[in-house]
Amino acid sequence: MPQSLFEKVWNAHVVEELPGENALVFVDRVVAHEITTPQGALEIQRSYDDKLFDPARIVAINDHVSPAKDTETAIQAKVLRDWAKRHGIVLYDMGQNGICHVVAPERGFVEPGMTLACGDSHTCTLGAFGAFALGVGSTAQGGAMLAGCLVLQRPKVMRVNVTGRLQNGATAKDLALHVIATLGFKGGTGYVLEYAGDAIAALSMDERMTLCNMAIEAGATTGMCPPDETTFSYLRGREHQPTGDAFEAKVRAWRALVADEGATYDAEVTIDIDALAPLVSWGTNPGESVPIDGVVPAGAARASLDYMGLEPGVALRSLAIDQAFIGSCTNSRLSDLRAAADVLRGHTVSVPTIVTPGSQAVKRAAEREGLHDVFQDAGALWTHSSCGPCLGMSMGVLAPGARCVSSTNRNFPGRMGAGGRVHLASPAVVAASAILGRLGSPDEIVAAPAASPSSAEQAKVNA
Amino acid sequence: MIVEGTVLPLDRANVDTDQIIPAHQLTGIEKTGLGKHLFTGMTGGVELLASYPDASIIVARENFGCGSSREHAAWSLADRGFRAVVAPSFARIFFENAYNNGIAPIIVPAEEIDALLQSKSLRIDLETERLHRDDGTALAFALDPLRKQFLLSGGYMAFLASKVDSVHAWETART
Repeated sequence: MPQSLFEKVWNAHVVEELPGENALVFVDRVVAHEITTPQGALEIQRSYDDKLFDPARIVAINDHVSPAKDTETAIQAKVLRDWAKRHGIVLYDMGQNGICHVVAPERGFVEPGMTLACGDSHTCTLGAFGAFALGVGSTAQGGAMLAGCLVLQRPKVMRVNVTGRLQNGATAKDLALHVIATLGFKGGTGYVLEYAGDAIAALSMDERMTLCNMAIEAGATTGMCPPDETTFSYLRGREHQPTGDAFEAKVRAWRALVADEGATYDAEVTIDIDALAPLVSWGTNPGESVPIDGVVPAGAARASLDYMGLEPGVALRSLAIDQAFIGSCTNSRLSDLRAAADVLRGHTVSVPTIVTPGSQAVKRAAEREGLHDVFQDAGALWTHSSCGPCLGMSMGVLAPGARCVSSTNRNFPGRMGAGGRVHLASPAVVAASAILGRLGSPDEIVAAPAASPSSAEQAKVNA
Repeated sequence: MIVEGTVLPLDRANVDTDQIIPAHQLTGIEKTGLGKHLFTGMTGGVELLASYPDASIIVARENFGCGSSREHAAWSLADRGFRAVVAPSFARIFFENAYNNGIAPIIVPAEEIDALLQSKSLRIDLETERLHRDDGTALAFALDPLRKQFLLSGGYMAFLASKVDSVHAWETART
């Protein structure tokens, strides 16, 4: 019987069928961060002799507030750190860390065909590798650390065929927003989104991660992309991957992880992206977005309008902003920073702008290319890696009523600070908006004359 | 097991977990003591809670608990004495977290919500899976048969602990 990609991965991990369409599903990898791991780890320590199923299947990453901002977050980081050391768990801590969904793949900790769980809803990012990767609560993560399994209701599978190609300034972020707008904010609930089509095959791993990152914003259990040469090339030579023949043997096995001809799906949609333009969210959930040329739609929910300080018919481009943010597990990888830098190069931001790389490794790679100079020459703040302003937990919190254009994934009320208003967009649109001081797109930015090396050097001396 | 009590009417759809408990309150390492932060991320949330100090059942609209996986949302609800949320639909992660923390996620048809929002109190029989309104009428619902046991006997982790040996055996056989 022909199988979907999801079915192949799922069937290979079912330890036991359980009542109510549930299954005991083996978990190959657990990613553990400091906000949601301590509760389960302490429960195992207190009630189950501190015994983990297999510490080698876990990676610990201090990511949300690193360095700690206060005593409480210092304790969270210390609990994770001490627990990891006690069990011999691989730990990425201050200096080598970053956002867990960026660090795990760049260290080669996820691969096609795996199951992976983490106490973080954006774990779906890692479905980009053809893994079944999903966010769970702390208790479920604890169960995976204790027994190597999750109890899961078997999700339905929606095939999302994507045709055409990204052009006209549209990016993977715009595709992600478009998918959510098409399915609806809860339209993916109960489903795995199995992406397919030439447009997906043409995406880089960074782009696939951006796309899968936002599967949860349609309510989906996760997203998955079929693994291919792009996937294998990305993983070749990564830290947790073997080298030489051992790696190539894995690649041969991974090639079987594609949907069979004739596989059936619970639902199927086709999305063509040839006409896709940059999108910006106007409302209070990620399903509420329109093209940057658009207006706040008629019939918009009153609660969303009131929170965002908007009325139907208002042009997105007319909205003045107070802050811009480039970062988060959605859009903080090197290609995202390059896209933002290409817009900002030679220009000056007109609102406070924060650029937060997705990992310390991304930060160093960006600095080797001089991107940190581009951002700082433009007047933006270039920070260390963390989840940062995305969830209003540490730096960059918005004031009530402040309007921020952000390359992140959630525009919920209060997400980036109580009363703060968030407009989701691609890194390029955020960069352009930062220059303009209002929502806008890169095509509005007149190319800056190339600075002569001597004047650039002089500017540095003067600084 | 019967859950009986005052209703807190939350006439909103898409109540995300950032609204239930905002991220800046996620700085602890324990599952306990989070009730004081409940609904502090929601416009009018604190006032609403104060208006229904004894409520133990929430009635809300579709897609309750969407967004972040933070189990703190379920912990803060449980800490304030909430034992059930009645809604037309739930986000997956919250749905699982609720079951694992003694909060029954009760799915009812969307057309029932208007009336349920008007109810002063409800009586929910988790064993027979019936919701009794204060006017004497009742509504059937379905619980997940496995997670119902977690709810009644409080045992997600205990259930998994009982599986450790068989999972090791499965893993050995796989490789």
